[in-house]
Amino acid sequence: MAVDHLFAAGVNFGSLPAQVVNGILIGSLYALIALGYTMVYGVLRLINFAHGEVYMLGAYTALFVSWLIYGNQVAPVHTFWWALPTMLLASMTVSALVGVILERFAYRPLRNEPRIASLITAIGLSLLLQFGGQLFLPVAPPPNINAKVNPYSDSMTFYLKPPAKPLADKASSLEAEATATEKAYNEALSGVPSGEEPGPTVTALRNNYFEARNAYEEAKGAAANSGVSVTIPKGQLIMFVVTMFLMAILRHLVMFTKQGRAMRAVSHDFDSASLMGINVNSTVTFTFILGSALAGAGAMMSATFISGVKIDTFYGLLPGVKAFVAAVLGGIGNIPGAVLGGLLMGVAESLVIWVGWGDYKDAVAFLILIGVLMFRPGGLLGSAKVEKV
Amino acid sequence: MGLAEEVRGLSQAVLTLDKATIRFGGLFAVRDVSFSIQSGDLFGLIGPNGAGKTTCFNLITGVYKPTAGVVKFGDTVLNGQAPNRICEMGIARTFQNIRLFSSMSALENVVVAGSLRQKSSFISALSYLPSAIKETGEIRARALELLKVMDLEDIADVRSCDLPYGKQRRLEIARAMATDPTLLLLDEPAAGMNPQESEQLMRTVRRIRDEFGKTVLLIEHDMKFVMNLCERIVVLDHGVEIASGGPAEIRNNPKVIEAYLGEAV
Amino acid sequence: MSFWIRRLASIALAVGGCFLIDWFAKENLKDFIVRLVVLAALYITLAVSLNLINGITGQFSIGHAAFYQVGAYAAGLATVTFYKSQPLGLALWIPLMMLVGGVTASVAGLVVGLPSLRLRGDYLAIVTLGFGEIIRIVTQNLKVVGAASGMAVEPKMSTPMIWLAWLLAITSIAVCRNLLQTAHGLGFLAVREDEIASSAMGVNVTRTKVAAFVLGSAFAGMAGGFLAHYEGFLIPTMFTMDVSFIILTMVVLGGSGSVTGSVIAAILLSTLPEFLRDIQQISMAGLVAAAISIIAGVVAVRYVSQHVHTPSTRRIAYPGAIIGSIILTVVLSKVLAFIPTLANASTDGSRIRLVIFAVTLVVLMLVRPQGLLGHREFGWGSLRRSEA
Repeated sequence: MAVDHLFAAGVNFGSLPAQVVNGILIGSLYALIALGYTMVYGVLRLINFAHGEVYMLGAYTALFVSWLIYGNQVAPVHTFWWALPTMLLASMTVSALVGVILERFAYRPLRNEPRIASLITAIGLSLLLQFGGQLFLPVAPPPNINAKVNPYSDSMTFYLKPPAKPLADKASSLEAEATATEKAYNEALSGVPSGEEPGPTVTALRNNYFEARNAYEEAKGAAANSGVSVTIPKGQLIMFVVTMFLMAILRHLVMFTKQGRAMRAVSHDFDSASLMGINVNSTVTFTFILGSALAGAGAMMSATFISGVKIDTFYGLLPGVKAFVAAVLGGIGNIPGAVLGGLLMGVAESLVIWVGWGDYKDAVAFLILIGVLMFRPGGLLGSAKVEKV
Repeated sequence: MGLAEEVRGLSQAVLTLDKATIRFGGLFAVRDVSFSIQSGDLFGLIGPNGAGKTTCFNLITGVYKPTAGVVKFGDTVLNGQAPNRICEMGIARTFQNIRLFSSMSALENVVVAGSLRQKSSFISALSYLPSAIKETGEIRARALELLKVMDLEDIADVRSCDLPYGKQRRLEIARAMATDPTLLLLDEPAAGMNPQESEQLMRTVRRIRDEFGKTVLLIEHDMKFVMNLCERIVVLDHGVEIASGGPAEIRNNPKVIEAYLGEAV
Repeated sequence: MSFWIRRLASIALAVGGCFLIDWFAKENLKDFIVRLVVLAALYITLAVSLNLINGITGQFSIGHAAFYQVGAYAAGLATVTFYKSQPLGLALWIPLMMLVGGVTASVAGLVVGLPSLRLRGDYLAIVTLGFGEIIRIVTQNLKVVGAASGMAVEPKMSTPMIWLAWLLAITSIAVCRNLLQTAHGLGFLAVREDEIASSAMGVNVTRTKVAAFVLGSAFAGMAGGFLAHYEGFLIPTMFTMDVSFIILTMVVLGGSGSVTGSVIAAILLSTLPEFLRDIQQISMAGLVAAAISIIAGVVAVRYVSQHVHTPSTRRIAYPGAIIGSIILTVVLSKVLAFIPTLANASTDGSRIRLVIFAVTLVVLMLVRPQGLLGHREFGWGSLRRSEA
């Protein structure tokens, strides 16, 4: 079974830091989504299964707004600085709106029914948005938004340990040679009249160039492997910074505003809070606005900055599941726990890929989930509640 | 000489708590509580709110495991036994906040408890063999009998959550009786009852002891109820035993009066 | 003695009924319908067995497709590996393989049942879902069973053994019914109602829960074993989360805890949406009209349940709300057809199949959370009463 995959890819300790950083970047996205799960669970004791679909609709909003701004061009000629912020705001607004609608019309009527009824409704809504959405929403295969409007598609490389000096020197000398042969080949090629077969000299030059380039690539790889480097796509770095910024805002809202205090009170004891004159309904709405807006922000950023995933109505399924696991891992209902859980989840996932078990990447989320629930049901930062007899 | 005198004559400790202690975090909910109940006793456990009475019940019935000390049933140590094992040994209880099987009928509630020591196997139930059918019939007949004792036979088919409060309390007692216990623990059986109902309940509890030969340990806030019914009483306050003895002693014990602070004892 | 005569007669009747269905279906029905008859039986088995876990024992499990899958793959693998080197004919071999599937699935059920000892409600739900996904992902990468590209089960049944599927369905119903008729079964219900009280009353909660999981998954596994030889081909995408949700919808629609409810819901939900597959073009106008009318209907029914209290008015108001929303659908679809974008757009029936399940779940929770039959049984409920 899994055993023959063990270390199949050959573990390269030099790439470990890169994978950890990668994991933290993705993990910040999971954390952002996990906050929505955890806050809703905190106040309503409900696993909002449809949260992943709120996220999915956020991604679609970003996609549609990008179409509005840039039309359907494959690559925009120039980028507007306000395009990305507009998409972000639009996604957050639409997601918040969807969250509020779901709460008002599906969850609120069931608040006095057994909790299982709300859970089944949440599952039903999730399926409804996935399959019902299919009837109305287009499928946008990659490259979708990211190739069009992401001006930050290149990446930056940091060296933790620089490449060995001789290897680096060799690589740079070979680079010069490759550039020279390329130039020679191109010049010779431009001398050939169009429609005619290039002569043997040109072919020889071409072979020269290919040889030199291969040698350069090889040397470059060897040099890179001798050092320890971290490559970060700029877009994901921006994503990380925005995520941290949003979390700081969330913390301020929850800790220092009246609504935030009410939210904490409701999550501590729903019934007592309502007896103490807290408007429970508006507090729950507030919670859904916060959680869903964060999911919308995450969706916009992942749709823009993470390439290679097509946007369809199942776009929120896996991130949703993983974020949920993150929330449970940190201790569901616990806001710092969700952030911690998200980051750990991201790192765990990249480590699994690093070890070479990429095929089982998605199963790992569930394994962590089951492990946590079995051995520490309260999560890392939460505490399990004991039923009073 | 009734059955009860006979049973009491044997005078053997049914239940012994020896320095039973349980701690939740830093808080001692019950600390070094020791008492023993003789066969045929009507034993009262009283104390102000939060004194640790229900926790004591939970220690005895295996819901919680004592942090220190020993709980013994006859000669068997109960520490760490599962609740269903303890019930099987012969300790049954009711709950302070009624925990009936709410969407099941009164009769079904009693049948569940009555099927405790059934002999027919699970497989015979699945294949509906005569042994299982017959035994189910017997359990049901016994359950109906118990409902009659508790004056509940007319509501046998009513869903237990639709019953009035007083009947729910009595149904809980009937259900506990169905496990055929040696020791019956009643957690505030008279709570929420009017004087007539509680008068009637008092007679029923006495009957359970006298006719069925059960030993009864009960928690109750209604002092009249406890003083009239129980022959021996232990008083807890803040998890610690502050007094024990007969009703008269307890009534005049200054510590008890202080604990209740002005409540008429 | 008369007991055994009656017992044998009822068994003979059941088996005879199965062969009657088999004969009738093969003589009179089109292949497409025959397939539905078989699938209905499998879904009855799945729904009834999930109901044993979910409804009767109250352990909210939503990963039932996993047991179906384990049973299917175990039986399929056994056939591929051993069939050629043994003397049994297919008619005996397939029931045997269903048992193999059942036993393997019940082992999986045992593993999944263990968390139920510590977890409740939504947490347990998510763990069962997780187990289901893990099993699917592992199968997807397991070369022995063809990984993601699937596995051919050779030999498959030459003609559909409809009787066998129905015999399985009837057996699962009978087992649940028997259980509920005896004192043992009431223990299962008690665990659903209150675990702490049941253990205080001497019910072995651990054993009860594990028994429910093992028994429920065994039936799902047998259904899987049948499926393997019926389809002749297994692929992990046959057992995604959607299948689990479909089975869950059946249980919820029928009423958790009601075996007969599960049976009715399984028949309805396994057949009706299939007919939609045939409809090539469903106009968007109709779909939008249906969506609006469903919302209106839900609002109306909820209004009646909250504000109308006289029984006689209710008797008129409830059907009124339902008929009203049906009429509204028809009228609105005609009106909306005047809007060109809606009139011209259409979708094919297969795409709205799962939408129907989703809508069923949500509407049901808002309108009648206890399902069609609630905890009641259709036809044998009186046997649980006191007049024995």
